Amino acid sequence: MAKLPFTNDIRTLRFLAGEMTQGDLGDRVGVTRQTIAAIEQGKYSPSLEVAFRIALVFGKPLEAVFQWETGSD
Amino acid sequence: MTFREKIHWVAFVTMLLAFGWYFLAFPWSIAASPSALWTAGGMLIPLTLGIIVAMTVATVILAIRNRKEVHLAEDERDRAIHWRGTHLAYYPMVVGTWACIGLIFTGAAPAILLNLLLAMVVGSELLRIGSQIWLYRRH
Repeated sequence: MAKLPFTNDIRTLRFLAGEMTQGDLGDRVGVTRQTIAAIEQGKYSPSLEVAFRIALVFGKPLEAVFQWETGSD
Repeated sequence: MTFREKIHWVAFVTMLLAFGWYFLAFPWSIAASPSALWTAGGMLIPLTLGIIVAMTVATVILAIRNRKEVHLAEDERDRAIHWRGTHLAYYPMVVGTWACIGLIFTGAAPAILLNLLLAMVVGSELLRIGSQIWLYRRH
């Protein structure tokens, strides 16, 4: 599987949001805990809608949650 | 392992065992004779019932043991995995269909055609379910 060209800070943001669990975040976003885990580990590229929903849960702009890796195409 | 993955494993193993037995036990020496079609039918009816019973029982047991996950709706990752698995399974289905069309013109016996169709469907299903299991692990 090709490595995704972006990273994310979901794990840190969950910790800062009162140690929110992957399951809690998944419930609020409308996806399963496994999907949050896959996104967090960079194994799954979420849709734009889910990415925005995740950012909304943390009250952050999208680029504060997902960062394009410098040097990626 | 999630409930969905377990259900996929049950389907994969059940199909592999059931149709593995069928293709090994089928009397290939009489495959070209007219009676082979009825032999195949006689084997496939209990086999199909067995698959339905085995999968129903396994699903009920898994559902009881994974009650929290039973009613979880599919999300976009599940749908993406299902789509990719189904897409992969399309290829053996097309190859098998063309092989059957070719065999029809050679005057192949009905039991041979039946078994080729069956192999095509089973192969496609195993590829679909197997790839979905693999994708659940990887993605």
